[in-house]
Amino acid sequence: MTGRVCRGCGGTDIELDAARGDAVCTGCGSVLEDNIIVSEVQFVENSGGGSSAVGQFVSLDGRRQIHHLGNQLQLNQHCLDTAFNFFKMAVSKHLTRGRKMAHVIAACLYLVCRTEGTPHMLLDLSDLLQVNVYVLGKTFLLLARELCINAPAIDPCLYIPRFAHLLEFGEKNHEVSMTALRLLQRMKRDWMHTGRRPSGLCGAALLVAARMHDFRRTVKEVISVVKVCESTLRKRLTEFEDTPTSQLTVDEFMKIDLEEECDPPSYTAGQRKLRLKQLEQVLSKKLEEVEGEISTYQDAIENELESSRPKAKGALANLTRDGSVEDTTSSVFGEDDAEDEELEAAASHLNKDFYQEILGSGLSSSSEGAGDPEEGARPPALESLLGPLPTAASLGISDSIRECISSQSQDPTDACGDGELDLSGIDDLEIDRYILNEAEARVKAELWMRENAEYLREQREKEARIAKEKELGIYKEHKPKKSCKRREPIQASTAGEAIEKMLEQKKISSKINYSVLRDLNSKGGGGLQEEDAQPEGRTATRKLSRRKTPARRHRADPGTSVGKRLRPMVSAQPAKKAAAGEPLPLSPSTLGAEPARPTAVLVESGPVSYHPEDDPDEDDPDEDDGEPCVSALQMMGSGDYGCDGEEDDGY
Amino acid sequence: MDADSDVALDILITNVVCVFRTRCHLNLRKIALEGANVIYKRDVGKVLMKLRKPRITATIWSSGKIICTGATSEEEAKFGARRLARSLQKLGFQVIFTDFKVVNVLAVCNMPFEIRLPEFTKNNRPHASYEPELHPAVCYRIKSLRATLQIFSTGSITVTVLKRKYTLPTPLDSEQGPT
Repeated sequence: MTGRVCRGCGGTDIELDAARGDAVCTGCGSVLEDNIIVSEVQFVENSGGGSSAVGQFVSLDGRRQIHHLGNQLQLNQHCLDTAFNFFKMAVSKHLTRGRKMAHVIAACLYLVCRTEGTPHMLLDLSDLLQVNVYVLGKTFLLLARELCINAPAIDPCLYIPRFAHLLEFGEKNHEVSMTALRLLQRMKRDWMHTGRRPSGLCGAALLVAARMHDFRRTVKEVISVVKVCESTLRKRLTEFEDTPTSQLTVDEFMKIDLEEECDPPSYTAGQRKLRLKQLEQVLSKKLEEVEGEISTYQDAIENELESSRPKAKGALANLTRDGSVEDTTSSVFGEDDAEDEELEAAASHLNKDFYQEILGSGLSSSSEGAGDPEEGARPPALESLLGPLPTAASLGISDSIRECISSQSQDPTDACGDGELDLSGIDDLEIDRYILNEAEARVKAELWMRENAEYLREQREKEARIAKEKELGIYKEHKPKKSCKRREPIQASTAGEAIEKMLEQKKISSKINYSVLRDLNSKGGGGLQEEDAQPEGRTATRKLSRRKTPARRHRADPGTSVGKRLRPMVSAQPAKKAAAGEPLPLSPSTLGAEPARPTAVLVESGPVSYHPEDDPDEDDPDEDDGEPCVSALQMMGSGDYGCDGEEDDGY
Repeated sequence: MDADSDVALDILITNVVCVFRTRCHLNLRKIALEGANVIYKRDVGKVLMKLRKPRITATIWSSGKIICTGATSEEEAKFGARRLARSLQKLGFQVIFTDFKVVNVLAVCNMPFEIRLPEFTKNNRPHASYEPELHPAVCYRIKSLRATLQIFSTGSITVTVLKRKYTLPTPLDSEQGPT
């Protein structure tokens, strides 16, 4: 459920009194809600032993939440009713399954806002709920689609009055709004508004309008009202600046309306990019020409140098003398003194093979792979004048070039359907390279360990914790989103049997003196059992409610609707109570009914809750010792139902 | 604008997503340690392996299911998937290449005109949905072809098709021109 927070003090401890129908904050005592709808949920047992909810579970929470949210948004009653109708439709189509109800409710409300045209943004709703706006948006879109409701598009003009009011323009509010509206319409004509957040446009329009009327509103003020980022606002302003309208003066703007329309800004940006690309292409072409010239000069110089320098080693010399193309490149490599000779040899050798294959095969598909290195060889020709050039070898791509050529052109035939791996076209060598050897594997393992040390440590701690808890016997699987499953109502012929069954169900610890418990029908329980029952009660409590402190004093509170989780406790409770035949003054409502049917199937009708809330006597287990009249059963049946003060009195 | 000229526009397939199974349990830790270009995400229990030759990123689960993304054509996707299976075989797993299926194809296309999104949405009510607060594009769904198109105001369109057969050009045919 949505976390209920008190508006007065901000506390989360809300008492719900179904008898009086209101919700009260236990911190400051302010009444949060009146007239809580009392339609309750009935649980009946199925043939399979599980229980199912019967009744309009929609109404109880749904309506209340809708009203709650709607009031915060200041929606009128008609809107709220419509929203509630949407919600009912959604429920009937099972759209609430698997979604947080808060999301669905927010989506219904937003749908109403859209259809009515109120100036509420999805952002507002997400602010209220502290939910990611995109998550809400998804739910909303789904809802609109499923309910086949076409939400009319948002017009930024709708937001103007709202934001203008927030910006406090005083008497000139109306004028500024009008100006902003005109600006917006202008923006629409200029194609600024497609694909943009309407709030951003509003912000820009209002800012300009304010300045036009001599109001000093800084960008910061505007963005705090409009809820966009500063850079967004600036962008919109610059875009608007680009339009011809921005050149008009204030008076002119009010009178004249320019006829021409502009292109959308993203379109112009795209055009600019295109133009840049074209420029680049032209430039590169020119560059190539220049390179060509330079390389010819280069060749001339090379030849000169070759003839003048001492003879290179035999193998290299042979290599460098093959072919004309190789000459260029290998001589380029040869010239480079900074390079390792071995590297040179390898590079030139590889390149020789490479080029031979190129020339020999002349494949089209490899041309692309080949073209790049080839062109890559050209700029190096240029760069060699400047400094050490990155050869294929030094770049480390010589291998991949080779593999590119060797393994590319075979088209994979269809693999046969029986699962055999068709190995055609797969180069094993390359794949071998994907597998690290021993040393590399070790290094990598260490690196990974270091990276994920945090996570690994957490895992270990978690395991240790689980192991420890297992030893102590109180380990309970804490699954992340576990909803408390409904316990089947205990069917017993006698009260004693009921107790036994309940104990079995709840797996109560060994600290209880069971034999004494069985005799509890007659007695009111002794102090001994109190203490025994106490830790047990606490564990039982802990199981059921994690939110409240485990050491809470439990009360025999049969039927609050504070949390669904606590209801199973409730169901067990009255059985025990009835069984115990406590002469405790019972709460006016259901408890009175319970003794009348001690052996009945437990029906979870829990609209009432009993509040002795005057005594905020919480978290004090020791106090039990001083209260002789509290029965063991009461202890066992823990109730974290708000204040526990005087359990014994008054019930 | 008539629809005929749309077909002549270039549609570029940018991404093909495919899945296949290896029908054997894969030890992610081993892959992570011995593979040269893998990322091991232990918290979610998968390994990302990137191949260079067909540029492919594969997500590998220990159950043997592998999802391959990043290929630029269906053949390439299949090729890459097979390479991947081969490399897993070399790592020592008994890999059987089964259930290969292309699940998703993404393509991009550019219209030479800009599009008015609000009016477009109004005219194509049930199919198109536009939420400027959430996303700058109109989301146009064609149920019969299982295609989703994202239409931007600049005229560029992203098409995602759930694969049945190769019907990529047709979503554009049925599209209406700008208002």
